[in-house]
Amino acid sequence: METLYIAATPSSPEVNFDFGQHQLSIRGESYPENAAAFYGDIIKRLREYLANCTKTRINVDISLAYFNSSSTKMLFNIFEALNSAVDAGNEVILNWYHYEEDDTILEFGQELHVDFPEISFFDRPVKTA
Amino acid sequence: MNTPRIMKDFSTSFEIACQQRVIFYYVGYFSQNVVAAMADAVRLQLEMSGVNGPTRRKLFSSFIEMAQNIIHYSADSLTPGDQDNHEMRHGSVCISEKEGQYLLQCANPIDATVAEDLRERLQSLRSMTLEEIKQACRESLRAETPEGSKGAGLGFLTMARDSSEPLEFDFQPLQDHPETVVFNLKATI
Repeated sequence: METLYIAATPSSPEVNFDFGQHQLSIRGESYPENAAAFYGDIIKRLREYLANCTKTRINVDISLAYFNSSSTKMLFNIFEALNSAVDAGNEVILNWYHYEEDDTILEFGQELHVDFPEISFFDRPVKTA
Repeated sequence: MNTPRIMKDFSTSFEIACQQRVIFYYVGYFSQNVVAAMADAVRLQLEMSGVNGPTRRKLFSSFIEMAQNIIHYSADSLTPGDQDNHEMRHGSVCISEKEGQYLLQCANPIDATVAEDLRERLQSLRSMTLEEIKQACRESLRAETPEGSKGAGLGFLTMARDSSEPLEFDFQPLQDHPETVVFNLKATI
């Protein structure tokens, strides 16, 4: 399946879903004007890819310095899709990067971890620059 | 809508409210590009003003929620009302400091018909504890997006979560424009 690559803008993250390598990453800032429109296609492509995965180890890196409230909802949908993929017999390794002093992103990651226990979740605090 | 007159009406009181140490102030049209450019300036100014990291993050987050609310919901729109991307709408936002607290204020005209609904939502948020606010965030994350919302219905909750005091708000009637009121929102961080 073809790689999905979207370059970063000041208010939207770089999306690099290398489906061939089973390596998915989202990094940067996430406060697009219309989060549902920005993430809609991304989630659609992700679901198509996941539907074709069997007994696959999928690595996901999420490294967002900031995301707005409507992006939160979209991230939740991404996690939901990944969790279902584990139920379907795949393995999902998720690295959740955040600045170590950023309690909001840390807590959101912890909540996702509780909600989606099938995903192998790794909290990755990063020292503030 | 008679834009210049409306803006004169509500920018006066807004300026008075901003007579603390103003860190950032903007009145005009908001688009996503304008907000992204302001975000750069706000981040740097907060850093230069000596605001600590966690407070900066909260201020930045509430600033974005307020600015994007203006893009999505201000009644003074340059773009057609049914357009849901590349919108451009009028409002104002101010970040100031008063006695060690940071105030974030925004104002924009809204249809008088939606004021009651906003009042109910904000009033109920004001009576909630931080734990209840966090619980409501978790619930609305799992719920369907409410009708009429262009976000996730999470914007006010996010601001309330990051504020040290309940969100304050009021609706100012506009002379000669009974169909429009100015929505003022204030967060203390």
